Amino acid sequence: MASAFGNLVMAVRGIGSNWLRTLLTMLGVLIGVASVIVLLAIGTGSSQSIEKSIESLGSNTLTVFSGASSSSSSGTKIRNSTLNTASVSALSNSLNDPDVKSVSPVVTTSVTATYNGSSYSTSVIGSTASYLSAENYTVSAGRSISHADVADRAQVIDIGTSVASALFATGSDPLGKQIQLGSSEFTVVGLLASKGSSGLSNQDAVAIAPYTAVQDQLTGESASFSELLVQGKTPATLSLAESEVESTLASLNDTTVANLPFTVIDSASLLSTATSSSKTFTALLGWVAAVSLLVGAIGVMNIMLVTVTERTREIGIRKAIGARRRVILTQFLIESTVISFLGGIFGAFAGILVSHFKIDGVTPVLASYSIPLALGVAVSVGIVAGFYPAHRAASLRPIDALRYE
Amino acid sequence: MIAPSELEAPDHKAIDSTKPEPIIALKDIIKSYTMGGVEVLAIRGISLIVERGEFVAIMGTSGSGKSTLMNIVGCLDVPTSGHYRLDGVNIRHLDDLALSRIRNKKIGFVFQGFNLIPRMSAIHNVELPMTYSGVKPAERRKRALVALDMVGLGDRLSHFSSELSGGQQQRVAIARAMCTNPSLILADEPTGNLDSRSSAELMSLFTGLHDQGRTIVMITHEPDIAAYASRVVVLRDGEIVSDRPQGTSSAVSYELSPSGRYSFGDSGVES
Ligand SMILES: Nc1ncnc2c1ncn2[C@@H]1O[C@H](COP(=O)(O)OP(=O)(O)O)[C@@H](O)[C@H]1O
Ligand SMILES: [Mg+2]
Repeated sequence: MASAFGNLVMAVRGIGSNWLRTLLTMLGVLIGVASVIVLLAIGTGSSQSIEKSIESLGSNTLTVFSGASSSSSSGTKIRNSTLNTASVSALSNSLNDPDVKSVSPVVTTSVTATYNGSSYSTSVIGSTASYLSAENYTVSAGRSISHADVADRAQVIDIGTSVASALFATGSDPLGKQIQLGSSEFTVVGLLASKGSSGLSNQDAVAIAPYTAVQDQLTGESASFSELLVQGKTPATLSLAESEVESTLASLNDTTVANLPFTVIDSASLLSTATSSSKTFTALLGWVAAVSLLVGAIGVMNIMLVTVTERTREIGIRKAIGARRRVILTQFLIESTVISFLGGIFGAFAGILVSHFKIDGVTPVLASYSIPLALGVAVSVGIVAGFYPAHRAASLRPIDALRYE
Repeated sequence: MIAPSELEAPDHKAIDSTKPEPIIALKDIIKSYTMGGVEVLAIRGISLIVERGEFVAIMGTSGSGKSTLMNIVGCLDVPTSGHYRLDGVNIRHLDDLALSRIRNKKIGFVFQGFNLIPRMSAIHNVELPMTYSGVKPAERRKRALVALDMVGLGDRLSHFSSELSGGQQQRVAIARAMCTNPSLILADEPTGNLDSRSSAELMSLFTGLHDQGRTIVMITHEPDIAAYASRVVVLRDGEIVSDRPQGTSSAVSYELSPSGRYSFGDSGVES
């Protein structure tokens, strides 16, 4: 019985007989393993950034959208109910809504901002001062938009770092400068501290102005808002705040909570929805990668079949001088396992390397389980894909193998 | 010579105990191949006894069944019918594992095409059968060195077969065949691919092995190669047409008798 080490040496020698072919086979496994690692890292990275961006929305905010949630819309008489200043002041009443800290109307639009020949496409949020704290924006220079600005319909604006760096040369101070939004001019009064980008959107590519000025200059006058951002007093009392908001809006619109023509979403439920969908996404990526690993496995099997055929005579010689079935079986199994294992190791390195780069705006995060998983799968691939060819080799009759030309 | 092993059949004792068992005892061996629905008889009823220490040359024209016979004797192939005892062991119902052990321990092969494993150095080729029989690496190396030295290749240990001449390759093959200390050396046209000088060198090696008391069965179609043997068996169309001792060496005198001294009838082997 040959020793395990002797078998390994023989296997490596066998592999060495045709380096190019062996390398190409390994490449199949390498790509499979690398894509498992990279795709899982992308999945993990994007779900982490989605979670982070939802957390940065503020852990204690509610968003009220106009339009009923699908469950309560059917069979309901649609009223001409909108989110307007009346809704804002009703919700701001601390008697009805003791757990609501602030209510910010939100008007959003997208425009091209230009300054001194530079232009940048950004989203503009029209709101009030409370929006900034509800959304965890802080001002790093200058000042936030104020209640006076809203009342005065002042064309002032706080800009995010992405907007600032796109429009202004490094070193120059954007504060006090007039930037062009569409056909109107807004004065930069504050710079927002960077919140970092997320998988969903770049949170620094924003500009925040008084909603009154945004309606005047950009979206046109309207009595209604697309959404309201409600900040609760504490995360713990957010569900209380939610029911207060719902009942206040119901009585304001002469209806019941069940037939409320608005949808109230809290950030926690948004988070759990996003988390579960990003898990599905990660699993899907994993399956895609598994398919490429399967293709690699077929490559290993194919090459092992070719190798066995090519070395039929050698198998005959080995059998003639006394190699038993199991020795031949082990020899070829070790050979295919070594090929896939090496492919797996290189694939793991390649996967780790590629995961250091930002891919399509997503920063991949290596999933700790993905490397042992991929290597384990690579070794199993070697054993499974090598078994049939090895079995064929071991079952050859010595005389047939020796006569093979 | 190798000690009697666990492979020996229980019916061993049924044989006349005053005489040692012959190394090869073939009785009514038939081998047929079916090709395209037509049955071809490659061996049509051969009975042959080879005693220990004999050097037998098997001659015959191409296609007369020499290789087929040797493959059966070497346990590489099984006869269609007939009985075969190798070194006292009835090989009839042995499984793959037992047959590979017999090939490993009792038989050393030398082929016309050398049949060394490419991409393996001379010494590794010689060590391989010992690897399969579980000889420890140090012992393996020692025995391989002795064997290669004996065939005059002590300075070519790490050469690959592609770096050796035909004669040298065949000498490596002989070293490989010898190093397990087999009861029987089987050679199928060992000089078939060699020039006359290499052939002569090789035959002197075989003669040396024979003088040491080894049993050799060698196929050849060259009369001057057959002349080294102590006995010549001639085949034609799958049958023995002549079997005679020759030369002055330690030939065991043998009379061709189909009924044979080693009757299978009273040896307990089913007929
Ligand atoms: N595997 C095989 N299949 C079919 N016929 C075979 C096979 N091996 C040998 N034969 C036939 O058996 C006969 C004897 O062949 P062989 O023993 O190789 O002859 P020799 O070695 O004396 O030249 C030939 O007619 C050959 O064609
Ligand atoms: Mg032949």
